[in-house]
Amino acid sequence: MVAVRLDAMLKEFIPRRAVTTDAPTVRAMLEDLETRYPRVRWRLRDETGALRRYVKVFVNGEPVDGRTGLATRLAPTDTVDILHSIQGG
Amino acid sequence: MAKPKVTVWLGTRKGSYGLTSDASRKKWSVRGPYHVGNDVFHVVADPREPRSVYALVNSGWFGPRVFRSKDGGTKWNEVAPPMMALGKDRQHDETGAAERGPIVNLWHLTPGPENEPGSWFLGIDPAALFRSDDRGASWTGMDGLNQHRTRPKWNPGAGGMCLHSIVLDPTRPKRMYAGISAAGVFRSDDGGEHWTPKNVGVQVGFQPEKNPEVGQCVHKIVLDPADPTTVYRQDHDGIHVSHDSADTWKRVGKVLDHDFGFVVTAPKALPGEAFFAPLEPMSRLGAGGQLQVYRWSERTRKFTPTVKGRPFPGDLGTHRDALDSDGLDPAGLYLGTTTGQLFVSPDGAKSWLEVPYRFPAIHSVSVAPAPAGV
Repeated sequence: MVAVRLDAMLKEFIPRRAVTTDAPTVRAMLEDLETRYPRVRWRLRDETGALRRYVKVFVNGEPVDGRTGLATRLAPTDTVDILHSIQGG
Repeated sequence: MAKPKVTVWLGTRKGSYGLTSDASRKKWSVRGPYHVGNDVFHVVADPREPRSVYALVNSGWFGPRVFRSKDGGTKWNEVAPPMMALGKDRQHDETGAAERGPIVNLWHLTPGPENEPGSWFLGIDPAALFRSDDRGASWTGMDGLNQHRTRPKWNPGAGGMCLHSIVLDPTRPKRMYAGISAAGVFRSDDGGEHWTPKNVGVQVGFQPEKNPEVGQCVHKIVLDPADPTTVYRQDHDGIHVSHDSADTWKRVGKVLDHDFGFVVTAPKALPGEAFFAPLEPMSRLGAGGQLQVYRWSERTRKFTPTVKGRPFPGDLGTHRDALDSDGLDPAGLYLGTTTGQLFVSPDGAKSWLEVPYRFPAIHSVSVAPAPAGV
């Protein structure tokens, strides 16, 4: 199973700091999260399906950005981190 | 009989605040911040359901969200996903009439008519108008405006391409206005099905064509409370008045040193008067280190400064929803600044006081009768 680690910013929407998934891609992983935790829908991705500007997804430490990066394939041994970048003052 | 309370809602750079006072409007209690750390563009109490309050919250992390409180603004819950409906409706853009891409910000809420509880109008960036008839649980795009034939000529101003003014004519239920930067004013006479640009007489100083059908950078419009055919308009290119329901406009602000600005309000107790806070157009600050609020009189056709002595000192600016007035007599006026001051006049702009609390940059000021028990 893919391990997905969630930053504290998401506690409003997902009451756990880590989950597992068998999703084959980053996009499918996000859809899985949105199905299991409906309140996170629209919060990680905008209505076009792209990651929101300050949401960063890493697979085994490598960043996945934008819309095309969501097609990145996941293997069962992978670790995904979902982080929010620092914004504004 | 208890003195009536007045509630003023502030949307700020870092959250929302509720302020309450009695009818004297001289001493204020401050609640908040709510939606802490988020850009709150507009907070509006429902005049038909006074304990209901709605907030437009914009977050770089989580995107735009609508919140509703059922208890006068103490506890807030997100309204069922407005982004879903907004996104779905925004896919109708094969004609190029609407940009693809995410909603940038939720800008402005206006309650629907008195006899249609639960109805709301919402303006967003990229400029579009939505309607809800179920207290924000779902939103429907008003395509007569959102896919208007002139849309390819609309352009964003410095604040984005935002639909920031939604005004209903209280005497003609089917008539409504929308203001878009930078597209101008539009009017519908059939409840929002069809829209006509209403910018005749408003010149555009920032593009080669000075008298286009659309492209004017309107910042705010309000109707005169006694005669809704009179419309007051603050544009990038000056202060204008219309006496024919926006069919034609006349620039009246040229007599001022500057008539650039963002705000205008027309208090219910002062028919034939509108209030503006002009800014120096390059800096978007009050000129000469001071901010003045001017009273425009339809009777005298003149502007009169209302802040006696030295105007509000400092390099102060305002955002376009940051001036509002209440329904009491004498009228109360409320002006928020981009540096977090809230100035209040409890007596129809004869005098002003500053609420002794420094807020984050104030985006919007919205007055509502205080809900019972708050």
